[in-house]
Amino acid sequence: MENTICKPDARLETEPKGVERRAFLTGGLSLAFLLPEVSRVAELQAATVPGQVNAWLNIAADGSVTLTVGASEMGQGSFSTLAQILAEELMVNYSRVRTVQGSPAMANPQPVGASLNTVGSSITRRNFWTMRDAGAAAREMLVTAAMNLKGDLTRANYTVADGVVRHSSGVTWTYGSLAGAASALPVPSNPPLVPDSQFRLIGRTQPRFDIPSKVDGSAVFGMDIRIPGMLYAIIKHGPTFGSTLKSPPRAPSGMQVVPTSVVAGTGRGTEVTGAVNAVAVVGPNTWDTWQAARRLSVSWKTPAAASSWNDAQFLTDGRALLNGGQPYQAGGANGPGTVFTVEGDAASAGAGLAASAKTVNAEYTLPYVAHATMEVLNCTVDYVAGNRCNIYAPTQNGRGVLSLAMQLTGLPESKIKVITTYLGGGLGRKAEQDFVSQAIQVAMAVGKPVKLMWPREEDFTRDQYRPMAVVGVSAGIDNSGNITGWKYRNVSPSILGQRGSNLGARGDSQGYEASQDLPYNIGARLTEWAWHPSPIPVGFWRSVGASINTFCVESMIDELAFAANQDPYLFRRSRLTDPRWISVLDAAADLSNWSASSPGRYRGIAIGAAFNSIVAQVVEVSSVTSSSLRVDRVWLAIDLYMPVNPGQIEAQMQGGIIHGLNAALYGQQTFSGGKAQATNFRNSRMIRANEAPQVAVRIMPAPASADRAANIGGAGELGVPTFAPALANAYFQATRTRRRSLPLFPGSRMGGL
Amino acid sequence: MAKTIKLNVNGKDYTVSINSEEMPLLWVLRDLIGLTGTKYGCGIEVCGACTVLMDGQPEHSCVVNATSAVGKKVVTIEGLSPDRSHPAQQAWIQNQVPQCGFCQSGMLMSVAGAMKAGHHGNEIMSEVKNLCVCGTYQRIKECVGSL
Repeated sequence: MENTICKPDARLETEPKGVERRAFLTGGLSLAFLLPEVSRVAELQAATVPGQVNAWLNIAADGSVTLTVGASEMGQGSFSTLAQILAEELMVNYSRVRTVQGSPAMANPQPVGASLNTVGSSITRRNFWTMRDAGAAAREMLVTAAMNLKGDLTRANYTVADGVVRHSSGVTWTYGSLAGAASALPVPSNPPLVPDSQFRLIGRTQPRFDIPSKVDGSAVFGMDIRIPGMLYAIIKHGPTFGSTLKSPPRAPSGMQVVPTSVVAGTGRGTEVTGAVNAVAVVGPNTWDTWQAARRLSVSWKTPAAASSWNDAQFLTDGRALLNGGQPYQAGGANGPGTVFTVEGDAASAGAGLAASAKTVNAEYTLPYVAHATMEVLNCTVDYVAGNRCNIYAPTQNGRGVLSLAMQLTGLPESKIKVITTYLGGGLGRKAEQDFVSQAIQVAMAVGKPVKLMWPREEDFTRDQYRPMAVVGVSAGIDNSGNITGWKYRNVSPSILGQRGSNLGARGDSQGYEASQDLPYNIGARLTEWAWHPSPIPVGFWRSVGASINTFCVESMIDELAFAANQDPYLFRRSRLTDPRWISVLDAAADLSNWSASSPGRYRGIAIGAAFNSIVAQVVEVSSVTSSSLRVDRVWLAIDLYMPVNPGQIEAQMQGGIIHGLNAALYGQQTFSGGKAQATNFRNSRMIRANEAPQVAVRIMPAPASADRAANIGGAGELGVPTFAPALANAYFQATRTRRRSLPLFPGSRMGGL
Repeated sequence: MAKTIKLNVNGKDYTVSINSEEMPLLWVLRDLIGLTGTKYGCGIEVCGACTVLMDGQPEHSCVVNATSAVGKKVVTIEGLSPDRSHPAQQAWIQNQVPQCGFCQSGMLMSVAGAMKAGHHGNEIMSEVKNLCVCGTYQRIKECVGSL
């Protein structure tokens, strides 16, 4: 690994770049190419044309290579990974590639450089081949330019290395000297790719471009935007979801109060579209404004039903749907309370269970969990009526920001600029638009640039949480431990339903993902998802449904292994039907030296898949008490099919494990009288360095020659889903007590520094 | 009532006007002086994203009144080194520590403070309790082991 890449231009540029980008056209080669965009909502709606985004490769006359790409950088490193793939095919030194954050556009296909919806661990896996094709096309155009200059059109007489084209006679040309001529050439349709065996960059750890700026304070996050004359806005929501403003409060001295309403498409759960659900206090700096917001007395109308919004009620409502509920009916309303069949049928699963020698029935429960990104929600807007609206947002969805701004301001796209800053964590929360819509509303009201911030307490209490879930599982085994029947019903609030999506016959894919198509040899199965009617806003939380279902599935598999009196690893191994899963399971077991035991230490294992990657984890715990335990070590194996940057994959696994650990031990948002109870880290504990386990990661090797038709797996969310079940399974080994409810230690508080 | 105070930050003198005696140093640094490397994470001294050095001691600027920094030498992440040459910064780059990076200013200032206090290697970690939601702890521990 290179020691440093200290490039001042790695800092995020906060000025709109549309004009400068057009200037790239002169004097160099610019190549437009398409990057497929992933929308976890749009994927389900056949009528929606998936968005497409252009990135822009520029080779300037001085030989420098610039990639404008719209992937939001929230720590997952895919910005740099795309550059790495490009540099491979371009055959240039990776350190010469510069990445520039792209902005969104509405056109379809979109103009170059537009932003990508950064969700679903999708950036690298969905753009791998496109980036390779683009880099290869540009390289071949440059070589063709050299061939024309030399007058020798035999391609075999030319080689390329490090941005220099060499003819067999010894003549050389730099890319920079060829770029002008190359830009006049047609783009080849099937440029030859670098053979996998000759990869210099793909599959090898490369440093990230953004890291130097993140050790000296120069990286610009949303919170760090400063515009001359800017005011500061602090958001203050009503006390419960669904609250609406009774009357506008009097503004504190020297400040303004701007009521903000729920814009269509941004509110979830019981939030009332068009109603004022928050006020923003606007003042001269964060602190004075925040204090004024704290003191501000505001009268709210809270929904009558809010008094019954509490965890006991939500659990009762969930349990009522474990056995009850209305079956899905084609053409019916199929709203909350509906039970959807994901796969299988009740009759055969019931027969399988009836024929079993032993049956295990279990109810698993998971809480609402807040995102709690390190950087609170914020957005800065510079609006001049009829003239411009510049939006600086730490967003995972720049195109959504643009669309919203056009709707709210009535300005044409040409007068709106969306500048995606670095994100101080995204975790799915910053794909939402509620905070952006508030910032635009406030800027439009005050006529000056405004930075709007959610204090941490607002960030915790007005989240769009990971859905709670009540999951009922019945499974049976025969006398040899074969799984004869499996009934699985997940009852949870609907992420897509709260976004107005038509769920279809199988229900909410975000709710049932990772509960279906399990490659276990299960005799007969029924997998169902039921729509919990909870009014609490829910959203995409790192790994989404997989974080819930993998816990329940892999806990139950462990329970069956115990019922069969078999080793949990070997039980899984002999019942898995997919050789890739078996290889990953073996890798994790091998990495951990599974059969080795240490006194006082206990191990659990789990396997699962999400976003086309397969992950297995072994978790080792010690010092287990009723209120605490220590996670000492974690061994993780992952198969992504095509690992691009092993160091970053490892980093994501290390981080995802901590994320899963925070949630499994402590993570939950609770409600009483409709009010969220955890308001800050003190009552939503997360671990510090001294509690962090040692993590070892094994990445399954890439195929000798990657197949374009094969699915490449993601990394960003993959450390999360298998952690909780492996932990709970280790807990069982330590205590012989099965923990079926997360978190393991609810109500744990976080001490000060 | 507005009050004018003088602060020394990263070796430079700043004169700022504050409206409240309670205004924390964090917001003076970020909003009034424009040094945005120091971060707001929790506001209640739990996460450590706001850590700066005052006369060499790590302090949580989200709860330290700016007035109490008068007459002291404040060092923020921007002043840790002019060129990312502080050994901790170098180690962070070498080991590719940051993910989102939002906590790392405070993390590095806590490490720098522990080093200033004479701690080395793993002793440093007993002084560094900053929260990292991305979970970069393992790489931090690996870095600190060599400092």
